Amino acid sequence: MAMEKNANKYKVNYGEPVGMLAAQSVGEPGTQMILRTFHYAGIEATIATSGLPRIVELVDVKKKPATPITYVYFNSDIEKNFEKSDAMSKKISEIKVSSLVKRVVENFSKSTVKLVLDKQALAAEELTPNQVAQKIAKLMSVETEVNEGNILIKLHTKSLKEIRVTGVRIMKKVIQGIEDAGKALIQQSKDGSFYVITAGSNISEVMKLDGVDKSRTYTNDVFAMYKLFGIEAARNTLANELRKTLEEQKISVDDRHLLLVADAMTYSGTIKGVGRHGLSGQKNSVFARAAYEETVKHLVNAALFSEVDPMKGVTENILVGKQIPIGTGAVKLAIKKEDIKKVKSGE
Amino acid sequence: MEIKKCYIYLNGRAIGSVDNPAKFVNEVRTSRRKGQISGEVNISYMEKLGEVRVNTDRGRIRKPYIIVENGQPKLTTEMIEKIKRNEINFAYLLRNGVVEFLDAEEEENALIAFFRKDVTPETTHLEFDLASVFGLTINTSPFPEHNALARHAMSANFIKQSQGLYSTNFDQRFDSRGYLLYYPQVPIVTTAAYDYANIKSHPSGQNFVVAISTYYGYNMADAIVINKSAVDRGLGRSVFYKSYSDEERRYPGGQRDKFRIPPPTAEGYMGEHAYSKLSEDGIIEPEVSVDEGDVLIGKVAPPRFLEENIGAGGLEEKVRDDSVVLKAGENGTIDSVIATETTGATRIVKVRVRSQRIPEKGDKFASRHGQKGVIALLANQEDMPFSENGIVPDLLLNPHSIPTRLTFGHLLEMLGGKVGAVSGKKVDGSAFTTSGKNRIDEYGNTLSQYGFDRHGDEILYDGITGRPFKAKIFTGVVYYNRLYHMVSNKIQVRSRGKVQILTHQPTEGKARQGALRFGEMERDALIGHGASLLLKERMLDQSDKTSVLVCSQCGSMGYYDYIKRTAICPLCGGNSLEEIEISYAFKVLLDEIKSLHILPSVKLNE
Repeated sequence: MAMEKNANKYKVNYGEPVGMLAAQSVGEPGTQMILRTFHYAGIEATIATSGLPRIVELVDVKKKPATPITYVYFNSDIEKNFEKSDAMSKKISEIKVSSLVKRVVENFSKSTVKLVLDKQALAAEELTPNQVAQKIAKLMSVETEVNEGNILIKLHTKSLKEIRVTGVRIMKKVIQGIEDAGKALIQQSKDGSFYVITAGSNISEVMKLDGVDKSRTYTNDVFAMYKLFGIEAARNTLANELRKTLEEQKISVDDRHLLLVADAMTYSGTIKGVGRHGLSGQKNSVFARAAYEETVKHLVNAALFSEVDPMKGVTENILVGKQIPIGTGAVKLAIKKEDIKKVKSGE
Repeated sequence: MEIKKCYIYLNGRAIGSVDNPAKFVNEVRTSRRKGQISGEVNISYMEKLGEVRVNTDRGRIRKPYIIVENGQPKLTTEMIEKIKRNEINFAYLLRNGVVEFLDAEEEENALIAFFRKDVTPETTHLEFDLASVFGLTINTSPFPEHNALARHAMSANFIKQSQGLYSTNFDQRFDSRGYLLYYPQVPIVTTAAYDYANIKSHPSGQNFVVAISTYYGYNMADAIVINKSAVDRGLGRSVFYKSYSDEERRYPGGQRDKFRIPPPTAEGYMGEHAYSKLSEDGIIEPEVSVDEGDVLIGKVAPPRFLEENIGAGGLEEKVRDDSVVLKAGENGTIDSVIATETTGATRIVKVRVRSQRIPEKGDKFASRHGQKGVIALLANQEDMPFSENGIVPDLLLNPHSIPTRLTFGHLLEMLGGKVGAVSGKKVDGSAFTTSGKNRIDEYGNTLSQYGFDRHGDEILYDGITGRPFKAKIFTGVVYYNRLYHMVSNKIQVRSRGKVQILTHQPTEGKARQGALRFGEMERDALIGHGASLLLKERMLDQSDKTSVLVCSQCGSMGYYDYIKRTAICPLCGGNSLEEIEISYAFKVLLDEIKSLHILPSVKLNE
């Protein structure tokens, strides 16, 4: 009861221009945001896009963020133990053939492709040439052979094209870990438990692993969250990512403003950006759209389809010089002055 | 040792290579010193990059140094004596390889000693003076080594903007704008640069008695309080000259302008009153006081568009008024008028208007330390703090202006200026002549000799209550410049006025008696407050409100036919039109949409 009472105290008034307030509350401190980002200790800050480019990315809803990151949390028995967590990290971390190979030597007369391995890279990933050879044989269904620490692939074709294409294809194959998950890095949180961040996003595959805590694991890729968990998750991710990016620059914005932005972008059930192709471009009013961008396009289309502007928004009413339906203009008289007499006489 | 091949870049372009770069560079330098190649060539050997860079292009910053060879500066004591006797000059030193200019890149190859005693066999150059590490602009500030660099940059800008004796033939000149200080003074605290750059003969400021004190909140945030009586005595007083000119232009077809009082028949005639100050020839006379809207030079021009019936029937030729009018918000006295001919044999008239600029609220002042301020109060002398000697400061500077800006030079100048004022001697504030502590001690000793507090503090009494302030107030003399940003040239007000033709919205800008724009962000602020009626008032009622007739049948705009006394819709011919209030901008938009072959129609409710 008390909580409900308190919550009701903070209800916004009818006609309050919450959108404008949110825009100003985010925009004003946003002008102080610096393009050159500070890098603090820790790997996360070095691999993630931050600052204004990240805000733009979130608000414009890029299908693929520039730096997708998955935060993988483990079940309680694993996360306290470094060895187990490290083993999980190995399972996730994506290793491509290309990262292990120094150079590819093709021999067209013998129909072979020789992969000259990078021994240091191999040692760092704790792999042997034999393991890699076996894996390649399995993935590509080819014959492989280890020769002086290098891998020789024998092909049963004389086609030059096929030999070359095989060489290229092999480089893209994933030897270990989850495809597109990216390199995994083990991290320790403040309470001492371990988790993993990856420089990629393939959250649906990561979730399939045993030992991954499905309730906490998430990614900063809003679209991936939407596909896997639905629109509510996307909305929360959006708001969280916005807040995190702003907080990195020591900008504090009330959560409700950010949630409103996230809500406006997701209320339709799909994620819409705020720009020309999203919220602003899909406004109801012809004039409001024409006032924003691509003026002629909107006017011509409105003429073609004989559109009627409902005159319910702010921009179009300012344009013609009417009272805007916001704040003091949101309310109307129930009875007109002239009608009062009629009502009285009718009684 | 392997000798690497070294590329040579001439003005940034690779032109060749050399096997022994060090030797090559040396040869070039030697021949430059001998005068065999131009002294403007600079060459540097970038050892780490394996490059030799030769620069001969313009725009490089170069600085002179005394050449040192084998541990011996080439500028000998005999030479210095000769210079003192005016027998040789700088050009001689330059010609004879005693002195040379280095650019930023060649400086990288040099080992420069500050003093003669520091010269070692490795030294290649010797600095003339420690102060020469700064340029001329910085050296015009006293005690520059005690100020932050950012303040020097500001100070240099303020010196450019200061009013003073900008030219000694100012009364002969017709500068489009001229600012002249009535009583310019040479600063008490000067630097060596003042002599070298001949600044003393055309000073641009005055020595103000400054107390670092607040004054009832009137000098917060870079505001300053100035003694009104000091202003009445001529402090900071200046004169503002503005020149207007016009020419009798010739046009193709034999037509030409003519200086004269325009006839009432002229197109754009401004009324008899406007021309009342002109003499018979249509040009104003000197020492006539003029106000805004007064015509200075009466001129008629041929009409803008050629008409067929020119001169027909012996009628007077049609002319257009093209007089020069004193701009809005300006006034003054005609200082000087000249009439002469241009090289194109057309008559030209120049009129210079003079007006006094007495310091007033809103005028800008700055010291030579990047400390600027705007007058917020001209306090009566009797209300200002005074010392027991009866000294009343000219200017009160807020103490908060010092610590965050790191302009300690300002404080030192106050002390130095005070020393100069009490002892009657000039004080040298050249950079690096001695340490700050030595200066404070020296000034303190002189001050106490004359019976003043050695730290420059004074017991001041509040002019309003007569009680002494609890704290001693640091008081001294600072050289202040009056900058040319003055309210009287910038003030602008409007309640009603002109509108633009296209949009019917108020004009913008001072020259057009315009308003300040109520822009997008201001609009957003009102939306954010939900103040929809205020917003409507701003965007419509006080801007471009128009009422138009709209056809209630077809929704197009109509008009009122005064002959038939009915409203008519030109599109459907209907007579039932409603009057609506819209912004003129919207009407223009509808018209423009129509020009796109789109027919907008307005639907009316009720």
